[in-house]
Amino acid sequence: MLEIINCQIEAKTWRITLPDIDVQKGELLVITGPSGIGKSTLLHWLLGNIPQHVAIKGQIILSGINITHLAIEQRRVGLLMQDVYLFPHLNVQDNICFALPKNPQLSSKKPPRSSKKQRRAAAMNMLEQINLEHLATRYPQNLSGGERSRVGLIRALANQPQVMLLDEPFAALDPSTREQMGAWAFQQLAEQNIPSVMVSHDVEDIPASAKQICLADYYQASEQK
Amino acid sequence: MTSRLFRSLSNIFSVCFVLVSVATANANPEFKRITTIEENSAQWQQTLKAAKGQSVYFYAWGGSKAVNDYIRWATREIAQQYRVKLIHVKVTDPSEPVSRLKAENGRTSAIDLMWVNGENFAYLKQQEFLLGKLWSTIPNAAFLVVDSLPITVDFGEPMDGFEVPWGIGQFNLIAENGVFQQSQVSATSLLDIAKKNPNTVTYPRPPEFHGTTFLKQLLVNLTDADPHLYQSATQQAQDELLPVLWQYLDQLHPYLWQQGKAFPSSAAEQLLLYQQKVLSMTVSFNPNQWLKEKSTQQISESSVRRYFTDGAITNSHNLAVPKSAPSPDAAKVVINFMLSEKAQKEKFTGVWGDPSVITSLFYEKATMPAHPELHSSWHVLIEDAWQQRYGG
Amino acid sequence: MAATIRRVAPLARIRQIALSSGWLLVFLISLLPILGIVVGLWPPEHITFADIEAFLGYQGLSASVFMTLFSAIFSTLISLYIAFMVYSQYHLSRRLQSFEKYLAPLLSLPHLAIALGLVFLFSDGSVFFIDSGLPRKGLSTLIIAIVIKEVPFFLLIFSAIGRQLPIKYWLLQGQALGYQDYRCWWFLVFPALLKQSRLALLAATAYTLSAVDVSLLVGPNIPELFAVSVYRWQTSFAAGDQALAFWANALLLILLAVSVLILYGHEKLAHAGCKALATTGSRFQIGKINPVFKAWLPMLGLLTTMMVLVFALWSLGFNWHSDSFAVTQLTTRLWQDEWLFFALPLQNSWLIGVFSGLLGVASALLALELQRQKGKYWPDYYWLLAIILPQLSMVLGWQIMHIWSQGGYHSGWIVLSHLPFTFAYAYLVLKGPFQSVEPRYELLAASFGYSPWQSWWQVRFRLLLPAIFTAFAIAFSVSIAQYIPTLMLGAGRVPTITTEAVAIGSGSQQDLIALYVLLQSILPFMAFFVAALLARRFRGSMGGQDARDY
Repeated sequence: MLEIINCQIEAKTWRITLPDIDVQKGELLVITGPSGIGKSTLLHWLLGNIPQHVAIKGQIILSGINITHLAIEQRRVGLLMQDVYLFPHLNVQDNICFALPKNPQLSSKKPPRSSKKQRRAAAMNMLEQINLEHLATRYPQNLSGGERSRVGLIRALANQPQVMLLDEPFAALDPSTREQMGAWAFQQLAEQNIPSVMVSHDVEDIPASAKQICLADYYQASEQK
Repeated sequence: MTSRLFRSLSNIFSVCFVLVSVATANANPEFKRITTIEENSAQWQQTLKAAKGQSVYFYAWGGSKAVNDYIRWATREIAQQYRVKLIHVKVTDPSEPVSRLKAENGRTSAIDLMWVNGENFAYLKQQEFLLGKLWSTIPNAAFLVVDSLPITVDFGEPMDGFEVPWGIGQFNLIAENGVFQQSQVSATSLLDIAKKNPNTVTYPRPPEFHGTTFLKQLLVNLTDADPHLYQSATQQAQDELLPVLWQYLDQLHPYLWQQGKAFPSSAAEQLLLYQQKVLSMTVSFNPNQWLKEKSTQQISESSVRRYFTDGAITNSHNLAVPKSAPSPDAAKVVINFMLSEKAQKEKFTGVWGDPSVITSLFYEKATMPAHPELHSSWHVLIEDAWQQRYGG
Repeated sequence: MAATIRRVAPLARIRQIALSSGWLLVFLISLLPILGIVVGLWPPEHITFADIEAFLGYQGLSASVFMTLFSAIFSTLISLYIAFMVYSQYHLSRRLQSFEKYLAPLLSLPHLAIALGLVFLFSDGSVFFIDSGLPRKGLSTLIIAIVIKEVPFFLLIFSAIGRQLPIKYWLLQGQALGYQDYRCWWFLVFPALLKQSRLALLAATAYTLSAVDVSLLVGPNIPELFAVSVYRWQTSFAAGDQALAFWANALLLILLAVSVLILYGHEKLAHAGCKALATTGSRFQIGKINPVFKAWLPMLGLLTTMMVLVFALWSLGFNWHSDSFAVTQLTTRLWQDEWLFFALPLQNSWLIGVFSGLLGVASALLALELQRQKGKYWPDYYWLLAIILPQLSMVLGWQIMHIWSQGGYHSGWIVLSHLPFTFAYAYLVLKGPFQSVEPRYELLAASFGYSPWQSWWQVRFRLLLPAIFTAFAIAFSVSIAQYIPTLMLGAGRVPTITTEAVAIGSGSQQDLIALYVLLQSILPFMAFFVAALLARRFRGSMGGQDARDY
């Protein structure tokens, strides 16, 4: 479960004070609001990427642990952006291998052959589950937009994240793919029981079951000096 | 004891040398009195007229400020006197104009005048790239000091009018007085000095010209100037003479700068090392360079000039005109000026300090006792054998 | 309907003519190096295979060849890795924005000046009077001098490439997946940068392989480096040396081919290594040393300052080793004396540099665009032939052709002779950024009704601007540094600051050498500095800090 407590975004001329939010396992929180209001800023703060133009205060509690001051790589958050940023020098299977957790079973300082094999098998297994095993040896630049999004999500899930962050994930897709992709993605996230936070300004992207928060509702202009 | 023996032997040799050179001069009466045209002859007036308004592209090494400044001075003088424009094309390596002439292969050249000697001259002469009869068509050639200086032959190759001597090179060492206390250096004393002051003595890596000459001086000294050195090198002479040099170098090298595992690439680099007091000596072909460097504070006050006991190997550096030069007349006018009393005097007394090659300005004092060049076949032999023994 | 067709037909023809003349131009430029080497190396009649024996029997040949190859490959790869680690420290920091500016002074000092300054500062008899153990002449000194000079070059290349790559997002993704910053750099960014800087690696290796001046000054000479031997034979006209030069040049070509292979091999290995590490969830501790390299730039800055200071003091007549020297004796006399004589060469250099630089960048863009339209890119080494092939023989070939043409001597020929070099360097800087421009942007522009020309100009060119500035600065400084083509094609009619500086450098006049080193650095310094300032204004397609707001 993800909890956001006492969160306040403060810029030069405005301030947003959010109510405390919690996102349950398998639940989806959608952050909406007009552009430039700080949706992505909030998301990147959750990720651990400190924004430079605004100040954000507050606490992030993930599965009971305060992760507010942890480095990005220690938070175990999944990230899916509009451009998926699959790593171009790795093929699909290797992209997923990269994301697999570095726990003792799956890796070691000097990986024995078996561990390497295990990881590859695990990645393949994930691809098979979504019927994309034929893409395993393809490179990202040879994938279609929809395929890229799917692989991106699988890659993020491969890391067994505690929370999933989606930044307008399907905005670049054509409408029919987007709808299909959205439904598929939310189903995956729900099945894996992961709390998710999505930024979107397209209302159609939002499934009915999602929680919504509109930043504009909490917007205050600061008093001029 | 031995050094005295050396000295007396070398004295005997010097006498022999003078005799020999007089004999050769007598055998070639052409060189005793140089026949050339007069300043006021119609032919020379014709040349002057044709030269007027022309440009002369002069390919000459540009690494020395002294030489560059001298050429700048000459440029001004020549422009005033003859309305000829002298343009110094500064090259880093004397082979650059040679390579250009080879590429041009007889087509109109970009070069009017070049500074040349040694193997480059031999090559150009043999390929027939050079304009001949310079001595007989340039009035001031009449005053060349052919009887006191070895300036009719360039490294065993007779000049034959294809180049004109401009100045004199004499091999000498510029050294710290405290380290090189005697005014003359022999192979033995050099070894002593190197042993007492390890890591401060060296020579440019052959086949760099100064480096090879350094070896020649040692060879002359070690073999008491064996007469075979002045003749084409026979196999027997090689087997007899060269091993002495190698034995000596085997002894010397461990005491050299960097234990003889690296050498300066050029005399210029060695001078820089000397300036920075890494070395106690450097080599030079200009007998007056030490004075000039001292006067500009480039080297320490305690620097002195030293030469080998047998005399300094002496040769000339020369001016030549390509056969295909676009302005040969103007080039001759420039050469004539360069041989004039005014130009030769400025060259010697001015920034450069290069000794004069004309009779009226020839002072015995300006030069060191001269030693003739070895036969040119030895040059290549020494270089190749050195490379074989120490170069790899 | 018929009217439209009639209007389209001539347009298509114009387009086709433009395309074919573009190809022709690009071919001519890229063929110049091949033509040069063929004509320049054309064996004189007296060359026989028997000469090979003399050549192969040359004492110390194998050691010399091995040392040369080793120093070229080793110094290039060391520079690459150092530059990458330095870059990883600066890429995301605020200071990145100005770091190219700091590179400018070092980039503009010629190789030879750096070698000179290095041994003067740190070798025996150095100003500090301490023996740092750096030999005056030796492989280690040579490699250090080359590395000092190549690292900023690679940094500049990385910076040009990095502007077009989504490095920031790769790092974010990598970190979100649980990898520390330094691991992301090695696993994710390094392979991409390595692939795109392949041409720069080739250029650096080829340079070191055939560098004569630096090798002569600080390289070992028992045995001497191969490039030095080649140069010596080629410039000697004693019997047999020209034949040696021919075979030596042939071997040099083989060495170049071998180093190309080694570099490709290294790339493959490094790529496979990074991939293996990335996919096995390795810990890869070595990357932790990256932060150490934060100190590199300040150190380099200090070193450059010291060198420039040494040269400035020398040119003012200061002499460390003089017996009696007072600061009051500092004088600007030399500057005043020489001023009359260096103004014209400076102006010539500047004009030739601007023209050949602009032409080089323009033709590199043309070559890239033509290949993109064709959908197929030619092998890299083809475009870099001017840098890779032995310069002396190649330029000798041009000289011979130039003499055949009887075209006279003027700066136009010199610009033309610099063009293959400026083209090759511009190409190597631009290729990576050019290929990573998102084609979507141009599609977008086309959808707004812009013609291909307009959208190319308005979108692709604009996005590439920072890389173009860098490319121009490098091309310009490459043109400034050219000695052999300037002298051989210009026949001394057009003195440049480099022909003067190199001639002076062959002597031993410390103060004059220093003065010309400084003069030679001024123009490239200005170019790099201005390019760095401009590149900041026009950010690339992936932007610097603020490409997206969040």
